[in-house]
Amino acid sequence: MIDFALAVRNLLRNSRRSLATFIALAIGTSSILLFSGFSANIKLSMQTAYVRTGGHLQIQHRDFFLYGSGDPTAYGIRNFRGLIDAIQNDAVLKQQILVLTPTLQFGSIAGNYEAGVSRTVIGVGLVAADYNRMRSWNEFNLPQTDPPFALDGAAPDAAIIGTGVARVLQLCEALKVEGCRRLTPEPPSEAPALPSDIAELALEGSTAAAADAMRTGAKIELLASRAGGTPNVVAVQVVLAERQGFKELDEVYVMLQLPQAQRLVYGRGEAEATALMVQLAHSSDVARVKARLEALLPAAAGAQPLVVMDFKELNPFFVQTIGMFDTIFGFIFVLIGTIVLFTVSNTMNTAVVERTVEVGTIRAIGLRARGVQRLFVLEGALLGVSGAVAGAVFALVLAALVNQLGLTWMPPGSGDRLPLVLLVSSVPGVVIGTTVGLSMIATLSAWWPARRAARLGIVDALRHV
Amino acid sequence: MNSVDEPEKRFRATPLEGSSASHDAQPVAEVSGVEKSYRMDAVEVPVLKQINLLVRPGHFTVLLGPSGSGKTTLLNLIGCIDRPDKGEVTVAGCAVNDLSDDELSDFRAKHIGFIFQNFNLLPVLSAYENIEYPLLLAGVPAKVRGERVPKLLEAVGLADLAKNRPGQLSGGQRQRVAIARALARRPRLVIADEPTANLDSQTGSAILSLMRHMQQRYQISFLFSSHDRSVIRAADDTIYLKDGVIQSIKRRQVSLAEPTRSLQRDQSEAA
Repeated sequence: MIDFALAVRNLLRNSRRSLATFIALAIGTSSILLFSGFSANIKLSMQTAYVRTGGHLQIQHRDFFLYGSGDPTAYGIRNFRGLIDAIQNDAVLKQQILVLTPTLQFGSIAGNYEAGVSRTVIGVGLVAADYNRMRSWNEFNLPQTDPPFALDGAAPDAAIIGTGVARVLQLCEALKVEGCRRLTPEPPSEAPALPSDIAELALEGSTAAAADAMRTGAKIELLASRAGGTPNVVAVQVVLAERQGFKELDEVYVMLQLPQAQRLVYGRGEAEATALMVQLAHSSDVARVKARLEALLPAAAGAQPLVVMDFKELNPFFVQTIGMFDTIFGFIFVLIGTIVLFTVSNTMNTAVVERTVEVGTIRAIGLRARGVQRLFVLEGALLGVSGAVAGAVFALVLAALVNQLGLTWMPPGSGDRLPLVLLVSSVPGVVIGTTVGLSMIATLSAWWPARRAARLGIVDALRHV
Repeated sequence: MNSVDEPEKRFRATPLEGSSASHDAQPVAEVSGVEKSYRMDAVEVPVLKQINLLVRPGHFTVLLGPSGSGKTTLLNLIGCIDRPDKGEVTVAGCAVNDLSDDELSDFRAKHIGFIFQNFNLLPVLSAYENIEYPLLLAGVPAKVRGERVPKLLEAVGLADLAKNRPGQLSGGQRQRVAIARALARRPRLVIADEPTANLDSQTGSAILSLMRHMQQRYQISFLFSSHDRSVIRAADDTIYLKDGVIQSIKRRQVSLAEPTRSLQRDQSEAA
């Protein structure tokens, strides 16, 4: 107890120096924690976006991820409805899975033949009601909400396209896309005009009546190769141009109802899905559910070579981004830890020099060398703990303030401004780890000066001027 | 050769007046053939040469000599805060040469009190806490501390200034606190290195009287250094040191009966 009292009073004795060290520690701690809060926001925002659009897990043909975009029909899941039933009937999985829904991904060419433009796109067929539920997933209570999925309740031939697709296909005006400049119309060509709807030429596709209905509004045609290589075309009515988060995706993304996509890719043949998306209530269940699904697949999927991939495997960019932020965090921690080490060490070295005679006195009175060392280490620890705790509190308060301000920022490669949220309190492990870590660094920083003080010769210390 | 061999032998052979127990006759400190030198740059400077000395228990002993005579070095050796290059030092019946650093710390805490020329109080502690500090180091129970410290403050006339920190005390008051601190653990020996050097003559004289009074009251051996010959009249024993050699030792025959009774009275009060 006397050691504690002495340590506190000695720190207060040179209050200006102690305060400077305390502030350095507090700023260092809060800097680390604010960055970690920002980093956590990036991670959780990305994770939320990926889980909303692709689920936590996907059951796919083992080669679809690497080769499927070129020929989805070769890597589809046959009898996917039977597989869904088997999973939904599993007592354990039933409690952990929020949404289990098939999806069909394919490569296609989207064209606006009236405008004479087309582009390659990635088409995705979805069960709109399921997908709508997936978009409302928000495990981390982030302030970003996706609007209701426009295909839910829409016509069977409805589609949503990325705003980039809308721009290239010159549908901005029809779809009321903001910030999309209208091109000056070219003078009319003397060449014979193309039919306004190439779908009319397709053997498969909409009926003439449906085609008539689609002549108004934003209508596009999707061209894809069917199983066996023959081309197929469907006409879809674009009901919405929607930002897809990432610019690259926004330029190529087309979503349509699953039956429509299956009709385009499989025609009258057996409809398949390229993946079953599995969304869980809690991300922490991913490994457990994945293991159970893997155990279930051989019996439920027959001889099909299916695998279960989690959202990290499906989105390498996510892993790379998180890895990059973790590296930056580590670098900042080491940098600030080094600053703390030298600051506290310098403070304690000065204290030892100033109090050399005192050290000699208390040693003469009977305090052991270890006691002297303990005294100075305790001062370093007190500085470290108080500074780090104050820094943590400051970071939590500042983060709460920033979160209240409703600031936004534009992430690199993103099409939308996102809320600037500092999730400091969402990462209690980092808060505790950083506080404890910097406190320990401060304590260790005091160790060497304390050892020097403990090893002072009593006579020399008493003679010190 | 030490010029004081003969007087020291006489002292050892003659039982002290007023002390019946053999323990009382045992010197509180004994220095035999001690040599000590310091290295200054590349030069070895001898400070003490073949010192032989006995410090009588319950006596007020002054170590006299000019600056650089080796007084402080000899006090440091007897106070167990330094080790001799050669020879043996025995304090309170214990050969301290062989003790480890931790053992020496414990030994000092138990047997030796220090009074410094510059008072050396801990500036962040109050007068009360400064006196209490050695007791805390020794793990003395709070009840005992609570009884002993106020008595010591009373004894040195600072009962009203218990809460004052050293910065709020005069030089004389600080030295009184230092005296009380040195006596707190009831040591066998109190070492005082020029305790009056930083005080004016009047205050110095008062401090000297206080030390003498406390020495008699608690029957604790005091060994202090001074370069002021006027302190001789206050001392029981006077050791004169010059150029690292003891030039003379004068011992006064004193009765220890009265201080012993005082100590017994204090102990019964503490109980």
